[in-house]
Amino acid sequence: MNKTYYPQLDEQVTKTVLPNGLSIMVVKKPGFARKVAYFATGRGSIDRMFTMDGASFEAPMGVAHFLEHKLFDMPGRDMTAEFAALGGSVNAFTSYDMTAYHFSCTEHFDRCLKLLLEMVSTPCFTAESVQKEQGIIGQEIAMNEDAPDSMLFDNLAAGMYENHPIKEPILGTARSIAQITHETLEQCYRALYQPENMLLCVIGDVDEEQVIQTALECTCHMEKRSVSVNRQFPEKDAPVKKRVSAKMEVSRPLFQLAFKWQDIGEGEQAVRQEIIGDLAAEILFGESSELYLRLYEQGIIDSTFAGGFETVAGMSMLSCYGESEFSQQIKKELIAQAQKLQKDFISEEEFLRLKRSAMGGRVRSLDSFDSTCFRLCAYHFSGFDYFEFPRVYEKVTRQDVQSWLGQVVTEDRCALSLIEPKEE
Amino acid sequence: MIQTIQLRPGVTLRCFRDHRFKTGRLSIQFLRLMSTREVALNAMLPAVLLRGCAKYPDLRAITCRLDDLYGASVGLLVRHIGDYQTTGLHCSFMEDRFAMAGDRILQPMTDFLGQLLLDPRLEQGAFCKDHVLGEKRNLLSAIEARKNDKRAYAAAKLLQMMAHEDPMGIPRLGDVEQAQQVTAENLYKHYKTVLKTSPVELFYVGSADADQVAQLVSPFFEKMERSYEPIAPQSPLKASEGGYLSEVMDVVQGKLQMGFVTDRTMDSGDFVAMQVMNAVFGGGATCKLFMNLREQQSLCYDIGSSYMGGKGVVTVGAGIDCHMEQQTRDGILCQLESCCQGDITDGELQSAKQGLLSGLQGLYDSPGAIENYYSTAALSGLGLTVEQYAEAVKQVDKAQVARMAQSLRLHSTFFLKGGKG
Repeated sequence: MNKTYYPQLDEQVTKTVLPNGLSIMVVKKPGFARKVAYFATGRGSIDRMFTMDGASFEAPMGVAHFLEHKLFDMPGRDMTAEFAALGGSVNAFTSYDMTAYHFSCTEHFDRCLKLLLEMVSTPCFTAESVQKEQGIIGQEIAMNEDAPDSMLFDNLAAGMYENHPIKEPILGTARSIAQITHETLEQCYRALYQPENMLLCVIGDVDEEQVIQTALECTCHMEKRSVSVNRQFPEKDAPVKKRVSAKMEVSRPLFQLAFKWQDIGEGEQAVRQEIIGDLAAEILFGESSELYLRLYEQGIIDSTFAGGFETVAGMSMLSCYGESEFSQQIKKELIAQAQKLQKDFISEEEFLRLKRSAMGGRVRSLDSFDSTCFRLCAYHFSGFDYFEFPRVYEKVTRQDVQSWLGQVVTEDRCALSLIEPKEE
Repeated sequence: MIQTIQLRPGVTLRCFRDHRFKTGRLSIQFLRLMSTREVALNAMLPAVLLRGCAKYPDLRAITCRLDDLYGASVGLLVRHIGDYQTTGLHCSFMEDRFAMAGDRILQPMTDFLGQLLLDPRLEQGAFCKDHVLGEKRNLLSAIEARKNDKRAYAAAKLLQMMAHEDPMGIPRLGDVEQAQQVTAENLYKHYKTVLKTSPVELFYVGSADADQVAQLVSPFFEKMERSYEPIAPQSPLKASEGGYLSEVMDVVQGKLQMGFVTDRTMDSGDFVAMQVMNAVFGGGATCKLFMNLREQQSLCYDIGSSYMGGKGVVTVGAGIDCHMEQQTRDGILCQLESCCQGDITDGELQSAKQGLLSGLQGLYDSPGAIENYYSTAALSGLGLTVEQYAEAVKQVDKAQVARMAQSLRLHSTFFLKGGKG
């Protein structure tokens, strides 16, 4: 067990690794009533291909999300109700490269924590409950198919990528989830819920030693196996499709533009890349950029316009989205602006101002326990201590950002996804 | 914990001093009566103010100033609280102690907020035409984009069915016709009226003490010519005729909305008991609607209810398979009936109350939630502190929950169904 204090952020973290490989991180927050715990695995919807105990497996699309739903099942018990009776509120989510189970509460923290650890570490799948879940997830898929924002991104990713499983929806499809059986879930659980690749992250005014003790007792039955998950997805620089479009019940066209970039790897290097990507997005099309002001004043973009640098294990992209009839023009303007920035970049003073602003934003977001827990988990799985971010900011230079922009924002790497209104 | 300072007649500053956060928050709201005449003007006003002021004339200048202030943010605040609509701005900013040695944020931020609010960029005695046109376009898009979110669209349709003669039925941002009529001239004239006559609510959360904040914001009102008009208290719902309506859209999942009315409102002193009833019925994590209709019968993916205490309205919303409309409607009424019968387990009541209590206890952990609770409570007529609210929740028993449920009358049902429109 070791305690680290981060003076720039005024945060104190206790970390340890249990004998079974599970990592634990506790952020002490004196004086706060709320406590939040995330129990997460660094595996998500993209992790469908793996080798376990010498045999290879390929699971159906949507299996990680299906597992997330089914881990709430405990024979004869209702876990949501048990949390609720303690005043806790439990939930979970599945992303491309992470699955997390989390609760928040103000009282009975230790009992809630036990429930969470027990629930995630004790899978109970039956044929009957799997069938029932197919109905519920089927509805969730249907709901997603009616949500223009989700379809905009799903279509984009499906068009851009050849091998990376980000091209598949996190939830899977009605057809793929129909193939899931309780045996599939058992196999995938064993492969994707390896304690060595999991993290328990707690924030609040809690007793750190007690958290560790509880975790030790509740997870000692989790077994280590030899598993290797395939995360090599070779991709060309260029998107497979440059343009995808669909028609939906929307009032105005929605667009998302993306520039395909490579796997940024892990650890501090990856975080450095991410900070460079974020700053590049600000400089190219952020609200303080020359381009944003011009396009906004011309009515080409509006307050729905936003964007940034996105990363998932094995891929990354610079992207922006919004409502506009002029997506082709926005694309041309972005590429032209990136070229212009190669000759005439922002001044050192402007660059420092942007860095200060980005840092300030990150410091402020630490007030949210949920977003902090999420980030601590996500960065932990990519091999970095999130609270070290101020140090990485200091090392990023203007030249880093300028040359990165020049490489990424090009016609070749660009893809466009459109959702257009249905004709009356 | 909240310190209230009357800066001038009709100008109230509420401060919540707290050293735990990294973010400070300051908001200013001008209070108006919700009306079709003003709704779009009030919605657009802060958006136009955020486009430029005399010293920072465009978006870029404003954003650069915010970047200087360590990535502070300013946003518009347009709330619909029963009979009232508020219009104003809020800002969030890093606490001074995290800035580099010698840098200050609170003081220059407050000053900047004052400039945005009181020293707008003008052209020939009105707001800048381009800014008004641009924000009008934004507002129209936002109004038209309502149908993108099918659940919110169905909920708004239901409210219109229930209350088209009541301020509650007016959409928060108004309608297309009202937005169309806004011009640089009439918006500027309205702005002058808002500054002069509206009750003003300021709210601060952060590490500075109330006197210091009062000193920082007082200059806002020194030059202001005020003839403040007190605003009428919230009134009971003028319910419309109601009934049943359905609409076809090309969607996969149907959206069902049912609206109930009750005479148990904030005024009748039943607000807290109604909230507990709502949590048992459809608001909490283990409520009857969720546990029975979703978990047991797989009738829907999502379902929930909410209670609007000022007006005595409870609405239920569900995302369902389009063929399941009747079963779901019957299922919802059946769960309500079991609440009326007092058919509520100890566990159901306990977790409904625990859920509300956790929410209340955790509220002091977020600057945004503190601001939202107290500035909304002051205007809605709730008049309970978080502690009083929590104490009242603990006192509610099953018989009370049943009585609350018995007061509900089904008023309107709206169904958005799939199919080729």
